[in-house]
Amino acid sequence: MTKKAWRKFGFILLVTAISSLMVVPVYLLFKISISRPDEVLTQHPTFFVHHFDFSHWHDVLVSGNLWAPLRKSLIVATGTMIFATIIVAPASYAISRLDRKVKLAYIGSLFFTKMFPTVGIALPIAVTFTKLNLVDSDVGLILAHLINELPFMAWILLSTFSAIPKALEEAAMVDGATRMQTLRKIVFPVATQGIAVAALYVWLNSWNKFTFALYLSLTTQTLPLEVYYYVQRGSFFETAAYSTILAIPVIFITFILQRYLKSEYLSGTVK
Amino acid sequence: MKWFKKYHLELLLVLPMTFYILGFTLLPLIRTIILGFQNRYTGKFSLSTYQALFARPDFLKSISNTFVIALLSLSIQIVIAFIIALVLKQRFHGRSIIRAIVLMPMGIPTIVSGIIALYVFGTSGYFNELLFKLHLITKPINWLTGNFKGLLIIALADMWKVLPTLVLLLLAGLDSISQDIYEAAELDGANSWQSFRFITLPLLKPTITMAVLLRAVDVFRIFELPQVLVGKSVPFVSTFAYEEYDIGDLNGSGAASTILLLMILVFAILWLKFVDRGGSFGNDS
Repeated sequence: MTKKAWRKFGFILLVTAISSLMVVPVYLLFKISISRPDEVLTQHPTFFVHHFDFSHWHDVLVSGNLWAPLRKSLIVATGTMIFATIIVAPASYAISRLDRKVKLAYIGSLFFTKMFPTVGIALPIAVTFTKLNLVDSDVGLILAHLINELPFMAWILLSTFSAIPKALEEAAMVDGATRMQTLRKIVFPVATQGIAVAALYVWLNSWNKFTFALYLSLTTQTLPLEVYYYVQRGSFFETAAYSTILAIPVIFITFILQRYLKSEYLSGTVK
Repeated sequence: MKWFKKYHLELLLVLPMTFYILGFTLLPLIRTIILGFQNRYTGKFSLSTYQALFARPDFLKSISNTFVIALLSLSIQIVIAFIIALVLKQRFHGRSIIRAIVLMPMGIPTIVSGIIALYVFGTSGYFNELLFKLHLITKPINWLTGNFKGLLIIALADMWKVLPTLVLLLLAGLDSISQDIYEAAELDGANSWQSFRFITLPLLKPTITMAVLLRAVDVFRIFELPQVLVGKSVPFVSTFAYEEYDIGDLNGSGAASTILLLMILVFAILWLKFVDRGGSFGNDS
């Protein structure tokens, strides 16, 4: 083979290796959830499904242990998303219209709060919520999840609102619109896509979040917590099935979000 | 007053979020720090909690483990993410499909990525089977016992989960470097390694700093993965703080959290001061 052909071959090999690294683990998870125990719990587990076995899924769906955590996870994730949007969208707009110096200072302090260890925040929150009887409640967990999600969402929305030129607002005001009308009819419609993307991310983060639920739950469970308890009990196949249920909506939403994902959302740079 | 009049609507809009962050983030953090400095039984100010903590070998172990996982995880992640970003930067057939595949783990909850690692690296797991099929081992290895092996597996599980984010960040950084610079360098006779070393790396420094800081904070706080993969056998400061809370020692948990905060701040300051030298935050404007 020529040098060029070797290079091409190496490149294809590299791309294949990268793709397998990303896909095979997800496949294995799903594979375990539909495999017969003798294909998994052996010295030499098989990479392909030879005999389908849906009994684990049947157990999970019929046992009745799924619905309560699923319901709680859905309520908390949706609640967190709604409250975060109500609080953060107006605030981000306002910050994006402030002086540059004030704006940078605010963003700096948002980044600073990101450095706080979750266990350090969860501890006093758990103590306070125990006194206020908010442990195990949906509201309590929503309040806790907002702690991480507000700065995160502000991070994304600040770059969305900063991208909307001030001249657009001024033009509307010159044409006789009031401040509120300008906001309602000009600014927020332009920002809708950014807000929707940010809100979906917040939903995902809350759906995935485990630490606060661990601190704030005694009798009720969220889906990640349920998965964690099944791991601890060592039930291999139920864990795989629960994990798949937990991951499905997330994989689905991320694939939709990919199209709208801009790099500045990740780094939080503000123009 | 004039300023207030001009910005009164803005202030009104910002207040709820500001109060929430102050009340639910800053205030709890201060309470945690105070808890660490209180005696567990008398509630009086004392250093007894810290003295007790630093006398415990598992706490010292958790600190060194946290540092090791941070260094290990960050270096593996950045290098692999860099390689993938450079591959995705090439123009080839099926590039957009590969890009979508690379982003896949982004959607996997952290706890699930821990569980997958459990299946892959268990004694009768798929990694051992792969090594066996390739005739590299004859007896299965238990990857999840032992301190260093445990750290390595956690670092790999963490890497897998965050690669998409890192790759996207680095790709955006690579895209922002103008092609003209590379062409000019090529005219001057630079080979591809030299272009990488003297153009790509320096120009990508702000992106790398951003990536390192964002990731470092998360790796120092690492919690779910050790909780699922190794339990108490390989302690980290985060999981240690949770264990203390779980057995009812709020002061110990507060003190451990304070130490963790300190570790994160020191790392961030050192990085900005010595590695980045004001490269990305300094000349922001």
